[in-house]
Formats: sequence, C-alpha cells, structure tokens
Amino acid sequence: MPDATTLPPAPHLPPKASQDVPTEPTLASAAAGDLYEVLGVDGDDPLARRLQAAGVWPGAAIELLTRAPFGDPLLFRLHGYRLALRRSEALRVRVRRVEERP
Amino acid sequence: MNAAPPLATAGRRRVALVGRANSGKTSLLMHLTGSLQRPVNFPGTSVECVEGDVRLGATTLCIVDLPGIASLEAHSRDEAEALRHLTDPAAAVDVLCVVLDASKLIVELRLLAELRRLGRPMLVALTKIDVATAEGFPVDIGRLQQALGVPLLVVNGASGAGIDALRQRLAGPLPDVLPPVERADRAAGAAARRAVARSRTDRIDAVLLHPLLGPIVLALVVLAMFQLVFAVAEPFMGWIEAAQGLLGAGIAALVPAGTLRSFLVDGLVNGVGSALVFVPQIALLIGFVTVVEASGYMARAVFLLDRLLRKVGLSGRSFVPLASSFACAIPGIVGSRILDDERDRLATIAVAPLMSCSARLPVYVVLLAAFFPPHQAGLLLFLLYLLGVVVAACVALLLKRTVLRGGVSMLAMELPVYERPRLRVVAAHTWHAVRSFLRMAGTVILFATVVVWALGYFPRPPAIHDRFEALRAETPAGDDGEAQRERLDAQEAAAYLEQSWLASIGRTVQPVFAPAGFDWRTTVGVLAAFPARELVVPTLGTLFSLGEVEPSPDVPDPRLTAALRAARDADGRRTMNGLVALALMVFFALCSQCAGTLAAIRRETHSWRWPVFTFAYMTVLAWAAAVAIYQVGSWLGYGPA
Repeated sequence: MPDATTLPPAPHLPPKASQDVPTEPTLASAAAGDLYEVLGVDGDDPLARRLQAAGVWPGAAIELLTRAPFGDPLLFRLHGYRLALRRSEALRVRVRRVEERP
Repeated sequence: MNAAPPLATAGRRRVALVGRANSGKTSLLMHLTGSLQRPVNFPGTSVECVEGDVRLGATTLCIVDLPGIASLEAHSRDEAEALRHLTDPAAAVDVLCVVLDASKLIVELRLLAELRRLGRPMLVALTKIDVATAEGFPVDIGRLQQALGVPLLVVNGASGAGIDALRQRLAGPLPDVLPPVERADRAAGAAARRAVARSRTDRIDAVLLHPLLGPIVLALVVLAMFQLVFAVAEPFMGWIEAAQGLLGAGIAALVPAGTLRSFLVDGLVNGVGSALVFVPQIALLIGFVTVVEASGYMARAVFLLDRLLRKVGLSGRSFVPLASSFACAIPGIVGSRILDDERDRLATIAVAPLMSCSARLPVYVVLLAAFFPPHQAGLLLFLLYLLGVVVAACVALLLKRTVLRGGVSMLAMELPVYERPRLRVVAAHTWHAVRSFLRMAGTVILFATVVVWALGYFPRPPAIHDRFEALRAETPAGDDGEAQRERLDAQEAAAYLEQSWLASIGRTVQPVFAPAGFDWRTTVGVLAAFPARELVVPTLGTLFSLGEVEPSPDVPDPRLTAALRAARDADGRRTMNGLVALALMVFFALCSQCAGTLAAIRRETHSWRWPVFTFAYMTVLAWAAAVAIYQVGSWLGYGPA
C-alpha cells in the first residue's frame, strides 16, 4: 500500500472541512426566539464548570433573547433567568433546536 | 442525618449568609440586623464583607454577609474568601443561611445541593418569589418545602416580610439537614421551559439593549454621571472649601503668626480639606453607581460594552471602575474587585489613574484660561480627557500582550431583572465607600500635604525676615501703606519659598524638565503635585508672589492667569506660553500624581509591584509626552519668546 501522504488529492472530493464529522450546532449560532436543548458543554476547565454552575447542563432549555451591538455577547434565557455569554463561551455549548419561535 | 445535637439557644451564634451575588443577601442582612453593620476585612486580603449583630432574648446573632458564590469552586478572590470562611474552623460558623433567588430556582438548587455536602446546619431563605411570578415561572412553595429536607422560609428583601420568622428560626434550635425526599428541581416546577408572556424586564430590555437605542441610552447615563459628579458636587465642594477657609481664619485669629500657625493652617487644615473636598464627588459617584447597579442596568452596560473593551484587552466589567475614575481613581481602583479575572483586574487598575480625574481639572482650567481663547480651550479640554482614554487603551492592550498575557477571561454573567433601587442599600454602600476613602486615602493625602508644607516652609533664613521688616518699616503708616505692605507680605512668602527645601529640590530637578520647557518654578509646582495634584495651584500662587490662591474647577483666579502670562525668566524670555502650558497639561493628564491612588493600588494588589509600576510608567510617559510636545512645538516656532 502506497504512503497516503504521497498521493495527490483526489480532484472529485469535496473540500476538507465537510469531510469532518458534521459538527453539532452550538449556542453561538442560535436564532433569536428559538428554543434549544443543551446537549453538552465542551471541555473541563473553569469556564465549563462556570457554565455548569450557571445552569448550562445537558437537558436544560435555553432561548436566545438578543445579541449586543456587533453580535457579541449574546443574551440567553434559561431556567427563568437571563445569562449573558460571549460568542467564544457560547461556542462551547452544543445544542439541539427543539422549538421554533412561537 | 446530622447527628450534632442542637446547641443551646443562649449565647452567641455565628450565622453566614451564603448565596449567589444578587440573591438579595445584603438587603436581607439589613432587615435582619437593622442598619447597624460594620464592614469587615478578611485578614490579609482586601475582600470586604459586612456583618452585623442582632439580639434575640439571650441569643446574639452575629450575621456575616459573605461574598456571592455560584458553586463550591472559586473563580474570583471574593469567592475564594467566601469559601474559605465557610470551611475554616476558625471562622466558627454555626449555621448557614442559604439565600436562594426564586427567579432562578433550578440553578440555585444545584448550589444548595453542593452546600449540603459541607454538613453544616442550614436553612434556606427564599427571596424574589414576586420576581419569579412576574417572569412567568411561579414557585410551588409548599411542595418545595416538603422536597428540600431543609427548613425553608420565604422572605421579601424589599418589604421585609418574613424577616421576623427567619430571625426567630436562626436563633432557635439548629435544624437537622434531612436528605431530600423528592428531586427538588421537579418540585420547583422544571416543566416550565419557556415564559408564557413578555415580562416587564423583557419590555425594558427591548429598548435598553436595542442595537441603536441601547448605546444612546448608555451614553446618556454616562453623561448623567459626569453631570452629577461635576455640577451637582460643586456647591458642596464650595462649602467644604469655605469651611476650610473659616477654620483657617479662626486659627489665624487665635494663634500668632509663625511656624505653628502655618503648620495648622497650611499643613493640617489644608491637608484635611484636600481630602474632604473629594467626599461630595465620591459620595455622589458611589450613590449613582449603586443606583445603576441595584436597578439592574449596570449589567446591561457591561453587556453592551464588553466587545469594545475586550478589543483593548479589558472586559465589559472594567467599565464601572474606569467610569468611576473620571471622578477619582481611588473608588475606581477599589471598584475593580468586580472583575473576576485577575489579569483583567490588574490591567484595569493599572490604567484607571489615566482617566482624567477631577483633581486635574483646576490645573487645566488655570492654564487654558491663561493661554488659550475660550473656543480653543473647550476643545483642548476635551482632547485632554480623550488623551487619557486613548493612552489607557494602548497601555491596557500592551499589558495584556506582555506581562498579563494568557488566561481566559470569562463573561458568563447574569442580567438581573430591573428593580427599583432601595434607598437603604444605596445609603449604606455610599457610607461604606466614603468611610473607606477617608480611612485609606484621607490619611495618605493628609500626610503628603503636611510633608509638602514642611518642605516648602523650611528652612526660614532670618535674613529674609530682616530684609522685609526693614522694607515694611519704610512704608507709610496707616491705610496708605496697607497695599504696599500686602505686596511685601506676598513677596516675602515667595522669597521664603524660593529658599525652601522644595525650591532647592525643584532647582536640582529642573534640568530633567528643561526639555519640556518647565522653568524651576513650574518644576516646583509639578513636584508639589506629586503627592496630590490639588497642591499645584496654591504652590504656583505662592511662587508667583500672589499670596493665597484657591484652586477652582470653573473660574480660575485672574491674578494667577495674569502672573503666568507675564512671568519672565532671568534671561528675559517668557516663562510660559501656550506651548509650555500645553506640555504642562499633557504632563498632568498622564502623570501619576496622587499618593492616595498609589496607596489604593498597593492595598488592592497586595504588593508594591503594581503601585511602583503604575507610578513609573505614567511618570515616564508624562515626561516623554511633555518633552515631545515642547520640542516639536519649538521646532515649529511656537516656543516662548
């Protein structure tokens, strides 16, 4: 079997990014008014634990209320209160959309 | 099951109020104890909390309001101290009063579950039931009470309802902590996932967080703060200065002229006045910040500004300390405690003194009035303020790229519901801030003023005295010679100052400032300003033989402006002109000239590194900028002729 690195890229393959496992949507790409369910928080660092303590845990329902000017930070509602997250923080939270804007 | 037997109800019992920031602990403490509280410092730290006592029959409850925590993991120094206090046997907390905010009950229950692991007797005070209902997430109290296994008392931080029952319960037999009988989050009504209707806070946010209206409102709020700090504080500051003048005159009437009188009037009274004169501004500023904070708007300001401030290496939370610093850097530096990331906090502290504080204003006003027409003066004043902001942004960015690099700063911040601020909370906060300012900065400013007085007063060569006595003897007696004698008095004061240690230091140091165009007198003024800027205008007044000159933030003394314009060096060149004045103002804008600020930085950072660094970089920067302006200006032909 020839060394894989020596092979020229197959011209018919789509660009590299879509070869990866399809990435789950994160809170960073949430749409205002839609309701999401938290699937998990990536990483195990102070930020991840802080998000935990703030109620961002699997199963929690979370809704994007608004974005600050220029789109960052973002304001969410979960468990009945409002939580502001930077885009970089929201990127860590994997979600699934469960309800469209009513 | 907790096996510890209930303690006797007699004696002293230590209660710790534990909960998140914003859960309503502070107003609960006020209701529990009346208003008799004292701020306490955790040993070895600047973390401050409030405690108060209340007697119930034979029991004295000693209640401490710990800094807010979100979990048993600390992210900031405040949280670390709160946790240490909870687990430290020396703190001897007898019972935890866990304050839970009903409006985010599910998250709060997670914290409660963690706190149960501490194995301490505890009870729950549930606040903000009304908020939870208004937000569309009502709480079933009966079911929750059953589920928790911990005594639950509903209290209202605004009206004080339920406080009596809580107080009785805290003083009564200690409760056992039972395991929960039902999953508390189910009991709390986790089924409600989405609010049914828009709440009042949603409607207010629609305006205040609007992409266009939001920033406009924010600008108006900042403007209102400036107006309050500068315009409203003005008459109060006038009264303090008037009282200082009266006291000085009173002492002058009682104490004969000489060293003692000068020490009392120019050293002591002037020093106390120099510190007290800031109190109205600080009180108004803290009062305003507390109102904005308690109303829920401050978190919105942080939300709106986070991105902008992050671009210069700071955080949205830096906004509050930096905005405060336009009045006085000291409350700003103390206020930087709200920054939970240590690097952000240090960067904020290091640049806070660059915000043009109110003590710089009288210097600007004198120099602008002396050398610039009104239409230019306004613009220049604005540019001087802007200069501080721009330089602060550059320094913060540089710090975050070098010594303060790394780390992940977090926002993850709650935006509370809008509430009407409670007067008692605002008054208590303001009082604490003023007291801590006077205790820390007041003493340093007083000491510095006395030192500058001594340097400017001694030594007093008798030759000067003899010379002026002889001159005075030549003046015609009675009213005719009065004006002449007054002029001689002023000249004598100037002669003494010219011979003083301060002047010797000024002459020695002057070559350093020569490239910036400062003569020795300006240098003495600059040096006198190092402990506290408010000393520069009176010092210049004495140096230019004017007798008493009071600093003023709006109307400069016309004699001083005229003297500054007319002053000439020994070689006949003008001492000052527009270019020198500009260099001097820029020097003041950038230089770290306030012993109180450095003391505050020392206290807040627990090291000499940061005050020394701040002093050094600001002074070097100020000197370099002043030199650059003077040299470039002279080259362009704007130098003094």
